[in-house]
Amino acid sequence: MDLVVNAVSHEVDSAPLTSLLEVLREELDITGPKAGCETGGCGACTVLIDGEPRRSCLTALCMAEGREVTTVEGLGTPEALSAVQQAFIHHYAAQCGFCTSGMIVASSAYVDRGGSPDTGAIQEALGGHYCRCTGYVKILDAVAAVARGDDADTMSTAASPTSSYVSIGGTGNGGGGAA
Amino acid sequence: MTLHRGRGMSTIEYPTGMNQNGDPSQAWIKVKPDGRVDVFSGTADIGNGSKTIQSQIVAETIGVPYDWVTFDNSNTDSSPLCTGTFASRATFVAGNAVLKAAREVRGRILEIAGREMEIDPGDLELEDGSVSVVGTPARSMGVDEVAGAATFVHGELLTGDGAHLNPAAEIIDPETGEVDKPPHAAISYAACVAEVEVDDETGVVRVVKLTQAYDIGRAMNPTLLEGQIDGGAVMGLGFGLLEDSYPYYPANEHRGESMNTYHVPGMEGLPAVENVLIENPSTGGPYGAKGIGEMANNAQPAAIAIAIHDAVGVWVTEFPITPERLLAALDREAAGEDQPRREGKRVIYDEHLSVNTVATAKSWRP
Ligand code: FES
Ligand code: FES
Repeated sequence: MDLVVNAVSHEVDSAPLTSLLEVLREELDITGPKAGCETGGCGACTVLIDGEPRRSCLTALCMAEGREVTTVEGLGTPEALSAVQQAFIHHYAAQCGFCTSGMIVASSAYVDRGGSPDTGAIQEALGGHYCRCTGYVKILDAVAAVARGDDADTMSTAASPTSSYVSIGGTGNGGGGAA
Repeated sequence: MTLHRGRGMSTIEYPTGMNQNGDPSQAWIKVKPDGRVDVFSGTADIGNGSKTIQSQIVAETIGVPYDWVTFDNSNTDSSPLCTGTFASRATFVAGNAVLKAAREVRGRILEIAGREMEIDPGDLELEDGSVSVVGTPARSMGVDEVAGAATFVHGELLTGDGAHLNPAAEIIDPETGEVDKPPHAAISYAACVAEVEVDDETGVVRVVKLTQAYDIGRAMNPTLLEGQIDGGAVMGLGFGLLEDSYPYYPANEHRGESMNTYHVPGMEGLPAVENVLIENPSTGGPYGAKGIGEMANNAQPAAIAIAIHDAVGVWVTEFPITPERLLAALDREAAGEDQPRREGKRVIYDEHLSVNTVATAKSWRP
C-alpha cells in the first residue's frame, strides 16, 4: 500500500487495519506523533490528514491511503521552523514535550483555517489535547501569538490572560538548610 | 439547584532535596580549545529545565556567554552520578555540583591567563568570555585564546569537577522522628486560596480562581519558573477534583488504569490563576535557589476542600472530590452521619527548622 507522509510517498507493508500511528512510528520511524493513550483520549498522536487534525491511533492505515498525511516533521525544517513551532519555542510552550507535537499539529490546523486569538476559541479547538506539564498557559500564549500574527522575532511574552505573576523580594538570607 | 460560592486557603512548607538528605550529585566540566564549555552531569531533564538552569549556573559562574555552554547528559555511564530528578532537588543539589565545578574551571582559566599575561591571577577578572586586568580593562584576553594557549602552548586541559552532598540525617529518636542534623537541603513555602462554585444538585465543583504565593528562593529563570507553577496549579486542580490513582501508594498497582478512566484537567474551564513570587534566597543553594518542582501541586487540593466546606458546609475527606463523593458527603451530613477517614502518612513537623526559617522569611515581607 502507498502512504504519502510529509509529501513523500512510502510503500508500506503493514496490514490495512494497522493503526496509522503504529505504521508511522514502527514501520516508517516517523516518531513525531506520540503514542500516549492509543485510545483517542489524549491527542498526542495527532497528525493532519488532508489538512484536518486526526488521531492517528484511531485511524486505520487504509483510511489514509490516497490522502496527504502531515506530521510535526512536515510542518517546518530545523532551519526554517513554521510560525507555530517558533511560537512554541519563544513562549516556552513545551516542558517534557510529550504533548507538543500533537499540540503543534492541531494548532497549525487551527491558525491555518483563520482561528482567532481568543482564549476560549483556542481552548475549544485544543480541548481534546492533554498536557501534564504546562498547565496550558504558555501553549495558549503561543497559539494566540500566531493567531494574532505576531512577528516571530518580536512576539511579546506579555502577561498571559490566564495566569499572572508579580514578584517581591530582595537579597536576604532565608530558607535555611545545610550549606 | 443552587450554586454556592466558597473560598479556602491552605499553606505548605516543602523540603528541597531528598527527605533526610544523603542524595549526592556530581559534575565535571571541560573547556574545549576554542573556549566553549562542556558540562557533564547526570541530571535527567524531564521537562523541568534542569539542562537550562545548570547551563546558566555554569555560564554565570565561569563568566562566559550562555550559548558557549553545552550540557551533556546523553549517557549516565559517562556522566558523573546524579541521584535523580525528584524531590525538587535538581536545581539545588545538582546545581551546587556544577557551581563548584565551574568555580574550579574559572580558577584554571585565570591561572593560565595569568601565565600568558605575566600577571598574578588575583589581579584578573573574568566576565562575558573575556579575562582582563582589574583596573586596566584594555589589557584583556578572550577565554577562547586562553583555552587555545592552555591546549597548544602549556599542554594542559582546563577542567573542573564538583560534587554536592547534604549528609544523611539519622533518626535519633524513633518516637518523635528527631534527626541528628538538618534533614532537608532547604525549605520552601507556599499558600493557595481557591475560590469555588459548588452545584448542590449535581455535586459539580468549579474552581473559579486560584491565588497563590510561592517562596521560591531565587527565580533562576523566571519563565521556566512560571512553567513549573502554571503546570503545578493545573495538576493540583486535577488532584483535588479529578485524578484518582487507587489503590493508593505503596500498592504496586498504584496507577490510573487508562486515559479514559484517569481524568486530568484539559484546557477548557480552567480557573484564572494569580501568582505572587517571593524571592527568599536559601543559604545553601546555588545563587540562593530552592526547589519549586513538586511543591507547586500540593496546596490546591486542600484549598479546594476548604473552599467547598465554606460553600456548602461539609468536609469531603477523600480526594479527588468527585460529584459522587460530594453528594454522598452532603447526604451523610443531612443524615447526621460521620464522614469517612483514611489513615494518612505520618508527617513529622520539625519545629526548630520551620520556625527558624519562617522567622527569617519575615524580614522579607514588603
Ligand atoms: S495516542 Fe491517540 S489520542 Fe492518545
Ligand atoms: S509538555 Fe509535557 S505533556 Fe505537555
